[in-house]
Amino acid sequence: METITHLMEGFAVAGTPTNLAIAAIGAFLGTVIGLLPGLGPINGVAILLPIAYAMKLPPESALILLAAVYAGCEVGGRISAILINVPGDAGAVMTTMDGYPMARKGLAGPALSLSAFASFSGSMVAVVGIVLFAPLLAEWALAFGPAEYFALMVLALSCLGGLVGDSLVKAMVCVLLGLMLSTVGIDSNSGVYRYTFDLLHLADGIPFIVVVIGLFAVSELMLMLENAHSGAAPVSLSGRLMFNAQEFALAKWTMLRCSVTGFFVGVLPGAGASIASAMCYASERRMAGKDHCFGEGDPRGVAAPEAANNASAYGSLIPMLTLGVPGSGTTAVMIGALTLYNITPGPTLFQDQPVVVWGLIASLAIASVMLLAMNIPLIRVFVKFLAIPNWLLVPGVAAISLVGVYAVHGTTFDLILGTLLGGIGYLLRVMNFPMAPFILGFVLGDMMEQNLRRALSISNGELDILFSSPVSIGLWIGALAMLVGPRVAAALRGRHAGEPQPV
Amino acid sequence: MSERVFGVLLLLLSAAGLVIGWDLRAPVSYEPVGPRAFPLLVFVLIGACALALVFSRRAPTRWAPPAVLGRVGGLFVVVLLYALLFDKLGFIVSTTLMCLPLARLFGASWKQALAAGACMGVALFILFDRVLDVALPAGQWLKPMLG
Repeated sequence: METITHLMEGFAVAGTPTNLAIAAIGAFLGTVIGLLPGLGPINGVAILLPIAYAMKLPPESALILLAAVYAGCEVGGRISAILINVPGDAGAVMTTMDGYPMARKGLAGPALSLSAFASFSGSMVAVVGIVLFAPLLAEWALAFGPAEYFALMVLALSCLGGLVGDSLVKAMVCVLLGLMLSTVGIDSNSGVYRYTFDLLHLADGIPFIVVVIGLFAVSELMLMLENAHSGAAPVSLSGRLMFNAQEFALAKWTMLRCSVTGFFVGVLPGAGASIASAMCYASERRMAGKDHCFGEGDPRGVAAPEAANNASAYGSLIPMLTLGVPGSGTTAVMIGALTLYNITPGPTLFQDQPVVVWGLIASLAIASVMLLAMNIPLIRVFVKFLAIPNWLLVPGVAAISLVGVYAVHGTTFDLILGTLLGGIGYLLRVMNFPMAPFILGFVLGDMMEQNLRRALSISNGELDILFSSPVSIGLWIGALAMLVGPRVAAALRGRHAGEPQPV
Repeated sequence: MSERVFGVLLLLLSAAGLVIGWDLRAPVSYEPVGPRAFPLLVFVLIGACALALVFSRRAPTRWAPPAVLGRVGGLFVVVLLYALLFDKLGFIVSTTLMCLPLARLFGASWKQALAAGACMGVALFILFDRVLDVALPAGQWLKPMLG
């Protein structure tokens, strides 16, 4: 019952006119950012965070904006997937498989509205999941000491390392580079200047926003120039816009199943929207039996990935809100947003900042309804955004990104540092180094070090304390399994290389 | 090959980090773990990963063709110059100047690029500085003229 009271308080926060307007603006901007190929949720959140901060929005409003953008991106990605066969973000890759064929058959309208509804169902299932599970997890995690925390963060980093990118070493390198950048600045325990090279600007550490904009905005622009796609003309949106009862009946259980699966996949650190949507698409295809036309425009093939990617995007907020340990790049940026406002992420968040947490949860529900309302009648408006040429988009993103960085400290130094990091980010990304572990390492670096030092202070320097409780041993085993598991699986698969691979 | 080169660079980074980090000692300490332990651990691990990159066989990196790389380099230089001149020239002028080459890189005509630059400079300035209350630099060159 306590939960219901809190949820009502949350709706009171999210329902103020300002926050409703912020959620609507966020949902709209998110959809647009999501549908633009090249820009995804992490870029959207990265670009808007500094602006929200500079506008001096209160923390709950800033978080509502970021969450609405995140939700909007997951919905918007499908538009370009269906109409031009180019996924707008990573979660929409599987939507192209059946969405584009449907559009080619003249069913672009139903494909878009059915996928909007699938996204809505994924979102709603996930909001219910968050309300049910998040407080429980947070309460359980309250018993964590510094040793358990340290192990938990190692687990989060190794989950991302094991699942993202093409090689473990590359993900490790990125995690370590992130940790390395987090050590720059005055050490808060001893007052020693670390790696500041006598630069005054580095004394307080490298600002989070500088790293985020460099890695996710500047480097993205460079990649967009490299991958400049030829601007395929979108399939025209003619005929009926709404899906019919037959299509809905075919896809309804798919939506429900994928919403639930997507939510649980999202909760696991490291496994994000793209893994959830690929998993759900594959399993629905297997379950469909013989009379399906997956790959040629089956409505279920559109509903499955869209329900899954929204549910998993929302689910990934759980580790962030309850443990303070983000499981994905986008939630890592959101954790960074909390620290900008001097809010310490962690299990105490539910007790110390109920306004922020429950306002965020309630606004997710509100934003989902708004997204459904926007995405069915206003779909033609969004389709127009597909026509924005890159020559207008790229300078715009460059200018807005630098405005955000400049707004934080007002120094040219931050702008130059961000641009240089962007150049490094580009080189790393071309060599297939994943960026999400980098930002996760940077965000968790300080907390990891503090918890390690606190744990070792308690034990007077004995390393045993890190492995002393059942919880921390379990977390260490989990971390090891995440690092070694995918390699063993790959080796086993290699032995059966002759067999056809499941899609 | 590129990954090996990068591995060597990382190895140098790790060595430099270890050398600098070795001297990070707190003058007075009440804790078993001082300020240098964590960075040293990170740099040791970076060194290990660097060795793994240098000595493992991997698929070669696919770089864009030289012409495209040149354009990407051009974009980087433009953004870097934009960062340098952001508060000296002021937001409107620097943004217009940045838009011009960037829009050209992405295939706009001179006319489109100039229009996009001028409009964006003014429109974003009004949006952020006036409407959203995010202070932007007006430019040092304006000061003498305004007295």
